[in-house]
Amino acid sequence: MARDAHPQAMQPHEPGRTRTAPPKMPAQFPFAGNYRSYILFDATGLVYLLAGLVALRVVWALGTGPEAWARVQAQLSHPLYVLFHLVALAAVCFVAVRFFRLFPKAQPPRIGPAKPPPAPVILAGLYGAWIGLTLLLVAILSGGLFG
Amino acid sequence: MKHFLLKIEPIVWLLFGQGILIGTMLLTGWILVVGLAVPLGIVAPDALAYERAHALASNPVGRLLLAALCALPLWKGAHHLRSLSIDFNGGGRDAAVASALYLIAALGSVLAIVAVVRL
Repeated sequence: MARDAHPQAMQPHEPGRTRTAPPKMPAQFPFAGNYRSYILFDATGLVYLLAGLVALRVVWALGTGPEAWARVQAQLSHPLYVLFHLVALAAVCFVAVRFFRLFPKAQPPRIGPAKPPPAPVILAGLYGAWIGLTLLLVAILSGGLFG
Repeated sequence: MKHFLLKIEPIVWLLFGQGILIGTMLLTGWILVVGLAVPLGIVAPDALAYERAHALASNPVGRLLLAALCALPLWKGAHHLRSLSIDFNGGGRDAAVASALYLIAALGSVLAIVAVVRL
């Protein structure tokens, strides 16, 4: 049985002349059907927010000096940080796959005289850029390039 | 506050979209090496020795990428958490939640710029 939605969820800016039934939340909301993936996609926001703050902390330590850098490197080896980064890796992969799938559908039919390329071309570009940039960053950061 | 949030919506959406696209592309390699491979000993710690890390980070391209890496995911996170709050009957508290989340993202973005400038 669907539960009641927020009473103002669909409220118009001014009262209309047509009476409408009070809004109901969909029966599958929030954790069944398509809503599971939708809610999970939104929930990755927490992981991104924390990942951005951790990255900021690491960069700040790099600017502070060698001692602060050594301290933050040691802290990143803590099991909780490692666990967080495993969750963060799963989150970024989930976001990438879901967002890339939606991206071709969100394109306008045309911008001026130009039409967007076919969906497979857009997808190939997105996955190519993601995998290519990831491999490049891994090579640089791990010392394989510019070592 | 609601009026102000509506006015900044285009800027927030731009940063949110870039947080998903560019943030995801940069975070994957960063997490793999800085968050996992070096701490787990898969990559030798020398790869991120201070002198090397500082040299990589302090050139103009390095600074730009690190600023984007730190700031853009904050906007993706802030906007999606706001959306999550609204979905769970948070329409009434939206102005306060959105203000707090965007303030965190904005402050973090300023700090990210300061962090790469002081490298």
